[in-house]
This record gives sequence, C-alpha cells and structure tokens, in this order.
Amino acid sequence: MTATIDTGQLLELVWTAAVAGAALSIIFSLLVLGLVRADDLRRSGRDVVAGAYLALAALAALLIAGGVVFGVSVIVSK
Amino acid sequence: METMLVMVIVIAIFFDFTNGFHDTANVVATSVSTRALSPRAAVAFASILNFVGAFISLAVAATIASDFVDQDAITETVVFAGLIGAIVWNLLTWYFGLPSSSSHALIGGVIGATLVAAGTGAVNGTGLVDKLIVPALVAPVLAFAVAGVSILAIYRIVGRLRPGPVNRGYRLGQLISGSLFSLAHGTNDAQKTMGIITLALIAHGNLPENSFDVPTWVIASSAAAIALGTYTGGWRIIRTVGSRIIKMDPAQGFSAQGSGAAVVLAASHLGYPLSTTHVISGGVMGAGAAKRLSAVRWGVAGNIAIAWALTLPAAAIIGAVAYAVSSIFGTGALGPIVVSISVLGVILAFFGRRASQGRLLTAGA
Repeated sequence: MTATIDTGQLLELVWTAAVAGAALSIIFSLLVLGLVRADDLRRSGRDVVAGAYLALAALAALLIAGGVVFGVSVIVSK
Repeated sequence: METMLVMVIVIAIFFDFTNGFHDTANVVATSVSTRALSPRAAVAFASILNFVGAFISLAVAATIASDFVDQDAITETVVFAGLIGAIVWNLLTWYFGLPSSSSHALIGGVIGATLVAAGTGAVNGTGLVDKLIVPALVAPVLAFAVAGVSILAIYRIVGRLRPGPVNRGYRLGQLISGSLFSLAHGTNDAQKTMGIITLALIAHGNLPENSFDVPTWVIASSAAAIALGTYTGGWRIIRTVGSRIIKMDPAQGFSAQGSGAAVVLAASHLGYPLSTTHVISGGVMGAGAAKRLSAVRWGVAGNIAIAWALTLPAAAIIGAVAYAVSSIFGTGALGPIVVSISVLGVILAFFGRRASQGRLLTAGA
C-alpha cells in the first residue's frame, strides 16, 4: 500500500506549510515587537533606538505583504 | 434525465450552502472568541473571502472529479445519493455541535453510493489512500505542530512586552490570518462541490470524461452558495471551536489561523481535498497545548476525533442506503424525488420538534 503514496508530494505539503506557517507568525511577531518597543523608547526619549525598531517593524510588514502576495500568486498560477 | 441533472445540481448547491454554514466555525471562531472581530463582521468578512477563494484554484475539483471513483460507474443517481449522505451527516454533526469534515462526508457519501451501484471495483483505493486518507491523517498533526512551534516563537519574541498593545496587535493580525484562512476555505471547500457537479455533468454526457474544464457557471454558483452559507453561519460549532477546546488569547488565535491557512493553501495547490475543520481544530489544539497541555479540554477534543473517524463510514452508509432506496424506483428521477421528500420530512419533523421545545439553540457539544 505504501507504494501508492506519493511521498514527494506529501513532503512538499509538510515543508511548505511548516515554513509558511512558522514564518508568518515569527515575522508578524517582529512587527509587533518593533511597533511596541518603538513606542516605549520614543516615550523615554531614545529616538534613535526607537527608529531602529520602527525600521524592523516596517521590514516585517513588507515581508508579510510580499509573502501573502507570493503565496496567493503561487496558488493562482496552478 | 434533464430533470435528474437539474435536481442533482440543485442538491449539490444546497450541500455547498450547508458546507459554508457548517464550516463557518472554522473560519471565524478564533477571530470571534479573541474579540478580533464582532461575530457579524467576522462572518461577513469570511463570506466575501470565501467567494473570492473559490475562484483561485481548480486542482481540488479535478481530484474530486477523477481520483476516487471510476467515472464509468458514476450516474446522476450515484452523485445524488452521495450528496444525501453528506447533507444528512453535516446536519447531524451541526446539531450536536461537532466540527466534523464536510469534505469527508461528501467523498464518503459518493463512495457508499458507488459501492452499492457498481461494487468495490469502481472505488479507486489508491486514490483514496493517497489523496484523502493519508493527507487527512497528516494535516491536523501538521497544523498542531506548526501552531505549537509558532505560539512558542511568538511568546519568546513578545512575551516580555506590555500585554495591552501586544493583544491589540494580534487582534489586528487576525485580520490577516483570518483572511488567509477564509481564502483557503473558499479555495479548498467550494471546489468539492465544483468537482461533484462536474462528475454529474460527465455522467450526463455534457462534459468529456478524459479532458474536461470546470464550467464557469459551476465555479460561480459554487462560490456564491458557500459564501451565502458562510454568511448564514453555524453558531453552535463556532462555540465549540472558539471556546470549548481551549480558551484562546489573540496570539494563539493568530497562530492557529496562520498555521491552518498555510496547511490548507499548500494542500489546495497540490490538489489535496483537505478538511479545513480538521486543520483548524489541530491548529487550535496545538496553540493551546504548546502553552500548557492541560489548557486543552481533551474530552471535547476526543469527541471531535470520534466524529472525524465516523464521518467517512457514516456518510458512506447513508449514501449507500439513499442509492439503494432510489434504485427501487428505477433509473429515473422518481427514486431521488421520493428520497429527497423523505429526508426533508425527517429533518423538518426532527428539527421542528426540537425547536418547538426551545432546545435547538441551547444544546451543544
């Protein structure tokens, strides 16, 4: 029975879903981290470090937007 | 025979409606329970994205139409009986508040009817194992693991920050993860109805058996039915998925939805007709268990697992009985009409009696 299972396709499902799911959560967490820390640091007058966290948040937002567009385009192209 | 084809298409569209209605919980439960969205907004949002999702891929429809049963054995009566099996099982599990799989109910119903109509030789065991059973076992475990790893990473990254803005952030994040999951649901689930209508069209001779395109009107009507069903909502299953498995915080809701969307979208791309119900339930349990094993109400999880295991055989038995009764009246539309009226009568009597006793909206899983 095992010979009938397309293990290559199944492994593709496992690794793509695992990478995409974990990456979405981690990158979105970096966005939250960047925004919350930037706000805290700006209130305490540390504008330069706050700017760095804001840049991290912006990069994370771009990665999420890009990832979502890429993911949907891969599915549409099938 | 035109009457029979029209009847099968109408019942398939009705099944699609119950699929949206039954599976609304998958799509919106986490957003509602973490208060990321109001119930009405969440359902409306999910409904629109389900409609859009139905248009973006056809790989699953092709699998449903060609990989599980021998197309030569498929008649309109077989498709009709399979749909009856799926609808009856969906309504039963909805009544008991159990998030079972509409996909497995549909495939089970068709297999049961095919077994009675043409015997075991007409069922493609290889396709069933490769495209349905193995992915059905892998997907919830995968969603469980991905959601578990994700929530651990999330707590590691944002665990020391002020909870107020962090929770607001993840509630906003659920707009993204919820949208992706709604899109994934529309993509994977609406295609099952497209596949089943395509099977009926092949059986009727409207489409060639070996190379066919799913007609645009089939895609549009399936998309509209699942969106309308989603908008109508299945509130009792929302309660089970949203708060009875675990009590979620917004970050857990985000990781469960994000992981579920990743699994279902990847599966849709590869043509696996996954159960979105299994996937989101696995994600919710993973997000809960990674925080604290005792956070998951394992008794509720056990009931859900039993419903999962029963779905395929139960729908197959109902589909087989529906086919057997229909075929007593010959190959025309009379048998399916008798079965439809009988099923409708039983449903109305059962739900009418419970509603008159005021128990329809209070009983749950």
